[in-house]
Amino acid sequence: MFNVDIGDLRIKNNKILLEDIKFDLGKNKVFTILGANGSGKTTLLKSLTGLLDKRFYSVSGKVIFEGKNLFELDQEELRQLRKDKIKYLFQDAINSFDHLKSFGYYFNLLVKDKTEIDSLLEYFFLPNSKELFKLYPYEVSGGMAQRINFVLTLLTHPKLLFLDEPTSGIDLAISNLFLLKLKDFVNESNNAALLVTHDLVFANKVSDKIAFLSDGKLTEFYTSEEFFKIKDYSKLEKFLNSHNQLTS
Amino acid sequence: MNILLKVQSLNYSVENVEIFGRHQDEKIILSNISFNLEQGKILGIAGESGGGKTTLAKIIAGVIPKTSGYLSFNFSNEWDKVKSSPVQILFQNSGEIINPYRTINEVIEEAIFIRFKDKNIINKEKENIFNSLNFSQSLWNRKGYELSGGEQQRAALARILAVKPELLILDEPFSAQDTESQLNLLNLFKSINEKFNISMICIAHNLKILKKLCDNIIIMYRGKIVEEGLTEEIFSSPKHPYTKYLLKAENYDLSYEDLKMDFN
Repeated sequence: MFNVDIGDLRIKNNKILLEDIKFDLGKNKVFTILGANGSGKTTLLKSLTGLLDKRFYSVSGKVIFEGKNLFELDQEELRQLRKDKIKYLFQDAINSFDHLKSFGYYFNLLVKDKTEIDSLLEYFFLPNSKELFKLYPYEVSGGMAQRINFVLTLLTHPKLLFLDEPTSGIDLAISNLFLLKLKDFVNESNNAALLVTHDLVFANKVSDKIAFLSDGKLTEFYTSEEFFKIKDYSKLEKFLNSHNQLTS
Repeated sequence: MNILLKVQSLNYSVENVEIFGRHQDEKIILSNISFNLEQGKILGIAGESGGGKTTLAKIIAGVIPKTSGYLSFNFSNEWDKVKSSPVQILFQNSGEIINPYRTINEVIEEAIFIRFKDKNIINKEKENIFNSLNFSQSLWNRKGYELSGGEQQRAALARILAVKPELLILDEPFSAQDTESQLNLLNLFKSINEKFNISMICIAHNLKILKKLCDNIIIMYRGKIVEEGLTEEIFSSPKHPYTKYLLKAENYDLSYEDLKMDFN
């Protein structure tokens, strides 16, 4: 059974950054956490698999994935988990690559069959493996690096995908492409995705469930329809208002 | 109406070159670009990345030379271009242009000093600029590195306003900002346009924001202008398929078939 249960998560450095964070991620769904810049969205995502630097942050609570509390695993076990079951897609894909290694290096690490690689590359409008493997990260644009990163991620067939601002700094066409693929991803083989973003339109289109993060607290997850009718949180109302003013 | 900028049949291409031992064919970046910008107006340029928007901005600002075509300005004031340029660009990564080790106060005073030498006038001008950018006095003596991203962007704007340009080019000023900051910035640009009577060109891939800001809009696709018109017209009756595609893309409504389209 697939279920991620996050309970009483609390993150501190000098002060408490996030508190009382609780939610469940079920299969076949895209979950989205909306929030303004600086509300702690990235910090929250990183905390879930122990990616925050322990010298500066203390994290308490529990994250249960496939029956195990991730906060009780050691670094090696977490690393293994991030290698095949739980994958992250960060904003600055280009910086995830070593600029002195061609893309072939990363694909060869996965030892997958070329047909799967090439069909994914074609889907993402990328050059075929023969050409792409020879390219170096400094030779491609930011949007291309994002797509290559996504392909590499999908090739490992993760169960859970964490995405940090998937639409920021990339082309609208690529954002649309990501949206389509993300929907496919969660509908295939009982996967789930959790993304954090401030892009309301994207959140509305891609998500099954949405929650709002502000002042260190997370609301519960609502369906998209319910979410845009919420009136209980003044911060959220302000957030939705400025969006309406911009797009009316 | 006074035309501030006239662009006619402008072209820009990169010649045959060898980069890192690899042969690069001639590439046409901009082809046959023509438009006018009236004084005091705000013109929006939209289109996806790689369409040549930033290249066009750089040519207008004189950062890079055009390959061929015609470009003329009709400025209201005399400009000594050795000291400062009447055309200024606010780049995407504007935070990086602010010297991290100097106070904003110093940076702005120095820039105003190009135009005025009198200490009282400098102070008055400085206050005027900071106030119109909602840059509170507590920030004046901060150094560049002590400011947040949004504050740095406003500091960069202050530095630009200090030379009182006649044309301000904004290159993707809204990207990577949340909606609230976008809205604040939008209102800021509008008030700068009115208060300082500065004509503007705003580059963005987001058409919706341009709708709120601009009088006219140009849509660019692969180095060409595919549609131009009054903002209301572009939104109420888009003509070119690429414009329709962009409007659909903003709502994340493109299908995989849409994504495969070529508009040339």
